[in-house]
Amino acid sequence: MQTRFLALLLVLPALIMIVLFFIVPLFASILGAFEVGDSFGLGNFSKSFDLYSKDMIFTVVIVSISTVLIGLLSIAIGGYLTLGENPRSVAILRWLYRWPMFIPFIVVGQVLRTFLAKNGLMNNILVSLGILTPLQTTGFLDWRGIVIAFVWKQTPFVTLLVAGAMASLDRSTIEAARNLGASRLRILIEIVVPQISGTLLVGLILSFVTMMSVLSVPLMINAQSPTMLTADIAFRINAHGDYGVANALGVISLLLTAGVALIYLRQTMKDRL
Amino acid sequence: MKTLLQASLILGLAATPAAAGDLTVLTAGDQNMVDYINDYLGPLFEKENPGTTVRVVGTGPGDAGSQKIVERFDAQAKANVDKWDADVAVVHEKFAGPLVKDGYLESYRSKIPSGEMVTSEKAKMALGANVDGYVMPMFSSQTAIAYNPALIPNPPKSYEELVAWAKQNPKQFGYNGIKGGASGVSFVMGWIYAFGDGDANKLMNGPFEEAETKKWDKAFASLKDFTTNATLTPGNAGTLDMLSRGEIAMGPVWVDMFYSWQADGKLPPEMKLFLPAPGMPGQPMHYVIPSKSPNTELAEKFVALATSPKVQADGIVKRFNWYPGIDAKFVQPELDKASWDKLFVDISPADLATKAKPFPIAPYNSAILEAYEKNVAN
Amino acid sequence: MTAHIDLWWLPRAFILGLLAFIIFGPLTNLLLWTVAEKWYFPHMLPLEYGFTFWQRVFSPRGNAMASLMTSIVVATLTVIASLVLAIPAGYALSRLKLPFRGLILLAFLIPQAFPNLPVYVNIARFFYEIGLNGTIAGVVMVHVTHGLVYAVWIATAAFSAVDIDLEEAARSIGAGPLRAFRDVTLPLAAPGLMASAIFVFLESLDEFTGSYFVGAPVVNTLPLLLYTAGSGGNYQIASITALLLLVPSIGFMLVVERFLRADVLSKVGH
Repeated sequence: MQTRFLALLLVLPALIMIVLFFIVPLFASILGAFEVGDSFGLGNFSKSFDLYSKDMIFTVVIVSISTVLIGLLSIAIGGYLTLGENPRSVAILRWLYRWPMFIPFIVVGQVLRTFLAKNGLMNNILVSLGILTPLQTTGFLDWRGIVIAFVWKQTPFVTLLVAGAMASLDRSTIEAARNLGASRLRILIEIVVPQISGTLLVGLILSFVTMMSVLSVPLMINAQSPTMLTADIAFRINAHGDYGVANALGVISLLLTAGVALIYLRQTMKDRL
Repeated sequence: MKTLLQASLILGLAATPAAAGDLTVLTAGDQNMVDYINDYLGPLFEKENPGTTVRVVGTGPGDAGSQKIVERFDAQAKANVDKWDADVAVVHEKFAGPLVKDGYLESYRSKIPSGEMVTSEKAKMALGANVDGYVMPMFSSQTAIAYNPALIPNPPKSYEELVAWAKQNPKQFGYNGIKGGASGVSFVMGWIYAFGDGDANKLMNGPFEEAETKKWDKAFASLKDFTTNATLTPGNAGTLDMLSRGEIAMGPVWVDMFYSWQADGKLPPEMKLFLPAPGMPGQPMHYVIPSKSPNTELAEKFVALATSPKVQADGIVKRFNWYPGIDAKFVQPELDKASWDKLFVDISPADLATKAKPFPIAPYNSAILEAYEKNVAN
Repeated sequence: MTAHIDLWWLPRAFILGLLAFIIFGPLTNLLLWTVAEKWYFPHMLPLEYGFTFWQRVFSPRGNAMASLMTSIVVATLTVIASLVLAIPAGYALSRLKLPFRGLILLAFLIPQAFPNLPVYVNIARFFYEIGLNGTIAGVVMVHVTHGLVYAVWIATAAFSAVDIDLEEAARSIGAGPLRAFRDVTLPLAAPGLMASAIFVFLESLDEFTGSYFVGAPVVNTLPLLLYTAGSGGNYQIASITALLLLVPSIGFMLVVERFLRADVLSKVGH
């Protein structure tokens, strides 16, 4: 009982901060999602599904694809940083991978828009190197552009966490397996990754949540519909002053992320029992 | 928690409070709006009113920028703040109506000398809402189609010709749908004016009738067709961006943004504009003064200066190639002929008179946007 | 053996080169835009280079440097506040029995998960009422609510990853709980905590909406300048501002890494 009280005491300051400065103000918005005219109802939600069900699926698919790619890349980079045997390559990689993390999303949108476009810098370079001909160039300013932007920006974030966790692993099992002749790939998959899966999952969920709430990337890169929910929310508010549907979309987006977060929570719960 | 609050209050008090004589201007719109006040209007005002400082905050381009100003006022109204933290705001036309309706604004036009120099109907009615007295137009902005004369020596003259051209040149026309900013919205509104079965004048001037909203089916069907043949661009800036890289040859843009992109070296200098018949919408940016501004008098002085013929001539027309907000006949005498003519290089005064339309009144506006989402975007 | 190594440098160099292109291609684009005076189709590279836009960013009224300083102060305070709140919370969430643990963790996620545009009006209203609007403290609080999810979740994961046996071993040789925490658990969790500090710092440094509603016009952070330029397509000004933001970000990371090396690595060996 006493430790429970202590635990609560330790969590309380942070919790109060969140509750007072975000969740209480949020309540008005959640209530607003159910307000239709002067009464309460599900009108905003049915309208949201009518107009934006495609966008909901699109958002989840795009963010999920990006999350998977981020996961794979961060394991690969983190793995090489931990198990790589060429010190110079490891050093170069360590120096290299972090840069995109420091670029704000709004600039990521701008930079990748002018980089990935049909006549953007990337294609221009490839054409002038003779790798492509001008007729073969394609632009990536659609869903692929969003995925590229997300992966570009978020991979360093997860890698930083994953590489940190890998670095603090006990090296002896790795050395032992190495001495027994196991390949580095096998060590990575069978020994290293299982031990850092908790950290990896946290990083991926935080990435997932971050990507769900980014507005500038879909606005600046993706012109087509369907688009992401954040763009719809901004549109409802700015073009229609329609906070009802905007809040309903917000609630839907919150539920989607909460669903993903629950996967993690259930797993950590299992670990603890 | 209490101590935390107290501590933060003390910290808060340590932050510099607004000194008397500080004039805070919130402005929606592009970076050039912020620059305009920072580089030109602010210093001019400070010179004329020694001891004052002008502070400007940009809230972002497009409707989103104006919406952020509205929300800021909302928050302060709901919190019953006595003196708000803004003295002057520059908002898009669409937001003037709601601001007046909520009672946030001061009626000041009759109090300043340039008030009488405003003759445009747009200073009285904003998308069907009465704003008479509460707003002073800063400048009039207009949408038009940008194109590269090197590629298209004879641009289409009307929406019909544009459709034919786009058919012959698939994916060469680009616009930004309706979610990425008002230049795409404006193109769609012009489309409904041109091809809708209803009365375009009713859309612009009201009254709102539900039956009118049922007359667009054919127009939207053809727009959907047209759109599959066109390129969709990411936002107002996205259209200019694709024009600048030659990925599209033609697209609707805001005239003021077009000129500032050209000035910033992001568009080829030879690019030009045209206004297709029957016309495309434009809108003014309005100066408004919140009634709870802590420096109402200073704010009035500021707007008076900003809308004086001299500033409208030197600042709005000469520096930025924007169409003046006050009646042009007061502005023209302040300018040499060359600067004045430069304003009409691409679009003649006659074109402006006949083809520069207002946006539809607010209820039609919303109805068209929703119909677009249902019929074209899906 | 030597032949074996010689063969491997080729794919290694290829992959590293590819990675460098993917990472530095877009960054080169950013750098080019900071000095491009004229750049349009069909020219692959800018037609004219110059520093006109730097002058505009650094014009005396542009307030770039003052905003940068404010941003750094706000971000640093945000990191300190977040870590002070998150370390005890993360420890409790990972080590101690806590009712509604899942719900508590979820609560921290909400500020990131709910698109916050609609919520800020309410927050701004609340802050106006209690007099926090236009104060550094107010901006820091908003940033802390957003940063806490990184700080708390990562702290929880970091503490969970520390072998509980080590802590118990320290306790069994007579160390008090606080001492065991300070000397054993905290240093081992430090890499994770420091990583979270970097994220909180970056999050605060890039935040616009909250800074606008709670801070402006009194407290002006650099993203307030960046936002208008960025979303309006003012590539040059946005790129220069982003470049300015790189300075504190990278500086902060270097400082954090210095700490890490001195503190943690010495203890990991024991």
